[in-house]
Amino acid sequence: MSHPLLQPDKWISNYSDALYAYALVRVNDSALAEDIVQETFLSAWKGKDSFKGDASEKSWLYTICKNKIIDYYRKKGRDIIQPQPIEGKDVSDGFFNEAEHWTTADAPGDWGIDYQQAIESKEFYKILNGCKKKLQQLQQSVFVMKYLEDLDSEEICKALGISSSNYWVLIHRAKLQLRACLEKNWINL
Amino acid sequence: MRFLNISCKKAGFLLSKKEENKLTWLEKIQLKGHISICSFCRRFEQQTGWIILNAKHAHTHSEATLSEETKTRLQNLFTD
Repeated sequence: MSHPLLQPDKWISNYSDALYAYALVRVNDSALAEDIVQETFLSAWKGKDSFKGDASEKSWLYTICKNKIIDYYRKKGRDIIQPQPIEGKDVSDGFFNEAEHWTTADAPGDWGIDYQQAIESKEFYKILNGCKKKLQQLQQSVFVMKYLEDLDSEEICKALGISSSNYWVLIHRAKLQLRACLEKNWINL
Repeated sequence: MRFLNISCKKAGFLLSKKEENKLTWLEKIQLKGHISICSFCRRFEQQTGWIILNAKHAHTHSEATLSEETKTRLQNLFTD
């Protein structure tokens, strides 16, 4: 007999779309996001007897989904062959001149927005998603794990099998690329 | 005092380390000094912070849904 707060017969109608959207922005692949939702429900079904009711049914399902996403990144991290030595020159070094200061072309422009306010624009989220997809695989992995899944750098290094110095380079380059991509494609529309 | 001067590239690295309270006392002074005089790095900090704030909630703005076919298939997993 499972916990009275659980209603497995309503999981699909109540949560499948929301979990799918949650997974999709994190893995950027619809088939994969579908698999993650399916695995989430299967794990929840198998584990329903261990649900104690400490959290709501909804947050319990999200936690399972989140763990499936981290598992996916962990497996993916092992398969990614880094395209070049991490300390070597790459595209993000182009943002800075020889003295490592911003080049005139790449210095952050004035966006003229309130940085305390979240944005509602659908267009923005479409562009953000496109920019996220353009990141190198490892940059995307560290960005999602750090900022969307709230893991700390040690957990991320362990999960992806990277050194902490690689981590700081990757997270910095991810932010450089995302910011520049948004300035180019959203601010300067 | 030259040891206090850092580049914009270095300041960017330190901003990520700052998020996890991993700066040494010297790095804290270097970063604070650099940000106070460099408007580009100030913008970089504000803009990346704002991007992250929005990225965290991107799924709530998504219109992506599963197809009815997929939902039926998933539902059947629990009724078989």
